[in-house]
Amino acid sequence: MRPKKGNLTDAPKLQGDKLTEREAIERAKQGDAEAFKFLYDLHKRRVYSLCLRMTGNTASAEDLTQEAFLQLFRKIGTFRGESAFSTWLHRMAVNVVLMQLRKKGLPVVPIDEPTEPDEEVTVTKEPGAADERLAGSIDRLELQRAVDELPPGYRTIFVLHDVEGYEHNEIAGMVGCSIGNSKSQLHKARLKLRELLRVNRAEKAMKR
Amino acid sequence: MKCLEFERVLPEYLEGNYLPEQQAHLQTCAACSNLLADLKLISEQAKSLIASHEPSPALWNALEERLRREGLIRQAQPPGFRLRSFSSRWRLAWLVPLAAAIAIGTVVKLHYPMKAGDTQPVARQESIPAPPAKPMSSEDLQLLTTVAERPPAQRAKYRANLDDANSFIRDAEQSAKQDPSDIFMQQMLINAYEQKQMLYDLAVYRSEPGEQ
Amino acid sequence: MRTQRALRAATVLMFAGMAFGTSTVRKDLHFRVGKHPTVSINNPYGPITVRAGAPQQVVVVAMLHSDRVELDQSQSRNRINLVSHLLPGADSISGLVEYEVLVPPDADVTLHADTGTLHAEKLHGDLTMEGVNAAMEVVDCADGHVHLKTLNGNVNLTNVRNGHVEVVSMNGDVVMTGVSGPYVSVNSNSGRIQYDGDFGGEGEYNFISHTGNIEAMAPPYASIDVLARSNQGPVESDFSLEPKHAPFISRTGSAFTGTLGKAASSVRLFSFSGKIHLKKRQN
Repeated sequence: MRPKKGNLTDAPKLQGDKLTEREAIERAKQGDAEAFKFLYDLHKRRVYSLCLRMTGNTASAEDLTQEAFLQLFRKIGTFRGESAFSTWLHRMAVNVVLMQLRKKGLPVVPIDEPTEPDEEVTVTKEPGAADERLAGSIDRLELQRAVDELPPGYRTIFVLHDVEGYEHNEIAGMVGCSIGNSKSQLHKARLKLRELLRVNRAEKAMKR
Repeated sequence: MKCLEFERVLPEYLEGNYLPEQQAHLQTCAACSNLLADLKLISEQAKSLIASHEPSPALWNALEERLRREGLIRQAQPPGFRLRSFSSRWRLAWLVPLAAAIAIGTVVKLHYPMKAGDTQPVARQESIPAPPAKPMSSEDLQLLTTVAERPPAQRAKYRANLDDANSFIRDAEQSAKQDPSDIFMQQMLINAYEQKQMLYDLAVYRSEPGEQ
Repeated sequence: MRTQRALRAATVLMFAGMAFGTSTVRKDLHFRVGKHPTVSINNPYGPITVRAGAPQQVVVVAMLHSDRVELDQSQSRNRINLVSHLLPGADSISGLVEYEVLVPPDADVTLHADTGTLHAEKLHGDLTMEGVNAAMEVVDCADGHVHLKTLNGNVNLTNVRNGHVEVVSMNGDVVMTGVSGPYVSVNSNSGRIQYDGDFGGEGEYNFISHTGNIEAMAPPYASIDVLARSNQGPVESDFSLEPKHAPFISRTGSAFTGTLGKAASSVRLFSFSGKIHLKKRQN
């Protein structure tokens, strides 16, 4: 990144040619376009992937990504650096997405119901069936496809916990459910994914 | 321990809270052992999905445009800067405090163009008397200059519209100041700003090149 | 995507059909389009009427009232742009152009005028109207996004259903008859807001004004969750509402809140100093 000349006398000097996130934030506060672009490039994939995963379509994901960054950049003047910038940003992205889902009346997280027999994928259902492990590793693409097939409520919790790494208490706060609910929905999501992965693999095997 | 029991405690197990008898069950039960391994694998592999997709480059262009329009990017405009810009600059004046107001629930007078005599304290509880008519902001003056070439009757209408828009903003700001947590007044304030923005947009629209 | 630059109306006399009077010239245009075309008309002075016509074509009849105004047209595949280009010295009389346009029902239409009446009828696409003093009429439209912006022109929406409607007005009155949808929002300064409908569609209805009065008339069977508040003006409701449990404090001014029926739609009536009246329609 070329060093910028001119009136940004308050902006920190560049370390050689490399702009650090810290410096970019300061320069963005001054209104520096390149600084905004730098911050955007640094975090765009994660924000966009989250939005895409939660909404399931690229048009919504793009709108929400833009919205999240916009909200972030509007407030960048008040960022003091108490928590990591990326934590701040990603929480904002999660909130933007959740708000959108709520607005659309889509289920964010289903309330825990007494266990529905058809939902439970228990091993005891198929005694003697070849209960193989999902061999070795799971291909990223096939996992992605399975996540896309999850019902929205399960998907939210799974994405927030297993993909994005939020804790149950954080998820409960963001989504507005109980910690217990978050835990049980996560478990159901993982069970469902296992089932989806098996089904998809079986289908693929049959096609050969 | 039976499989059914094990599955019930499986979520806790995966979090690392388990008892010896649960571990013992795993030694003897291939099905449960597979299930555990699979769920672990799924949750670990999930991490690889973070940041797995890239948005299209057009997204930045749209975002940058909005950042410029909101005055968050404050740099020299590219050549060919048109009269429309003053309505864009004006957006800074209301969108920054607006976002702050919504986020923090208070009315902020950070960047709104300070008019002479504008020294009212924020969030006093005593009744604030109606503010005296303030001198015009520079953006408003520019608006009037833009429409100066038009027929007098039309000019007068623009002036009246401007007064109405400013009066709404003043009223809404004042009420919002009296009670910063009043979300209804926050909404009024947003609406007041939206009206003024519309006035700017419609007034400058005709001044595009190609006209006259 | 390069646009084809227009035919100047200098040639209008050669290609036009009939000419009425000495200086009024009629221009007929016909465009072929695909699905979901975009039609944009910028006409400073004069009425524009857009109606639904046959699919895949846009038919325009324009009456130019003098030679001080030219019609610029351009088509870029599915996007049609018409501009009434005012020549030096043109005013609201000599610059007058009247448009009658037929578009496919799924067309997205944008109209811009200073004066004149903008009229759209039986359309299903997205509709945008922007005017300074132009009156606006939207009739029998459904499903699309309707965005109306006016400074002083009155706005009339009649039988607009299932849409997303946003109206911003400074001074123009906004009258809605038989309007319902997932979202209906009116933001007025001094213009009056008048609604006569059923608040249906499980929608969100927000009417906000600075000083304009807000008058909403609903049937006895309306199913709404209503909140009305005026800071300095009176509020009145013909209905007796079921109280709500959500905490609501009227901080300043007058207010009423409550539900009717199943509270399917949300209705918010706010004014700074206007009068708010929720009326019950007598069948």
